[in-house]
Amino acid sequence: MLKKVFGGNIEQKVIDSIKKHMQILYSASECFKKGLQEWDKDQMHCVADLEREGDSVRREIISMIYEGAFLPYLRTNICRFVEIVDEAFDVLKDTAYEFENLEPMDEDIREDCIQIADINQQMCDMLIIAFDALFNKGDLREKTLAIRIYEKKVDDMKFDLIGKLRNKEVKNFWEGRTLSDSISYLTHISDVIEDASDYLHIINLSMR
Amino acid sequence: MPEKSLKGETMKVDEIMTKKLEIISADASIYDAIERMIDKRIRSLLVKPKDEHDVYGVITVRDIVYKALGGNLDLNKTKVAEIMSKPLVCVDKGMDVEHAINLMTKFNITRVFISEGKEILGIISLLDFMSAALIKRAREGHGA
Repeated sequence: MLKKVFGGNIEQKVIDSIKKHMQILYSASECFKKGLQEWDKDQMHCVADLEREGDSVRREIISMIYEGAFLPYLRTNICRFVEIVDEAFDVLKDTAYEFENLEPMDEDIREDCIQIADINQQMCDMLIIAFDALFNKGDLREKTLAIRIYEKKVDDMKFDLIGKLRNKEVKNFWEGRTLSDSISYLTHISDVIEDASDYLHIINLSMR
Repeated sequence: MPEKSLKGETMKVDEIMTKKLEIISADASIYDAIERMIDKRIRSLLVKPKDEHDVYGVITVRDIVYKALGGNLDLNKTKVAEIMSKPLVCVDKGMDVEHAINLMTKFNITRVFISEGKEILGIISLLDFMSAALIKRAREGHGA
């Protein structure tokens, strides 16, 4: 069945492009984490560059799918999966933009942000592993469980971080708004990756 | 890419520990400890040493339920020091996870602290071990 669904040349091209799309997301999250660790705002520009690259790969994938890759009933779900991954790019780009405009952060808040950025990066890696499992007869269930564990970790850290932010004095409205938005976006990435992994499960079911 | 240990090598305790440690004074009331645990959604608090000759202790939900609630103690009047456990069961940063699990089995405890010299760096609970093991398994492709 898998051979039948994924066996064609055009299907293989789509699969390779989806992997490439996710690998770019992994690179973008790695680049963001490095920028945060070194507090190098210039380095964060790479996130926007990689997001544009991801956008063009996404367009290629969607075109290939509607040119005839995969059985019609699978196309919508695969496109939706690609769009959710693209949403993760958008949120990551918004996060990087907000961090570029931030004043230097308290060390404990920055450490938490780095830890969340690291978990986000590991989630991107796990999403690639889960996608591989989908058509290599791997155990998709255990990969998506790992993604949920990561997401739960970010969720726990999020409430702690919000608690710390509430005690922080800000100079003006925009400083507070930027700080709040940067943390909201940073902690939202894991939700989107979890949504993408849920969609892998739906694709898996629709192939049965 | 992710840490080496998650790719099949031996995992170290400091790679999976939680750095979030909540500290309470030994003189605080048990009610204070309960409030803190509920607010922070955690199951144990590190108890600060009273002076430089003293050592860290720990108060857990288990201590509160069995010793304070089960023993009908006055939660507002009883101090944390009266029901806490001391000294802590610690493992050094850099130790293998298996060593920590053996210690937990031996002492029948559900968490160990990670230390470097006299400093407490983090904590590992049963859930942390389980999560790390599941992530490792997913990365290695076991059960595929």
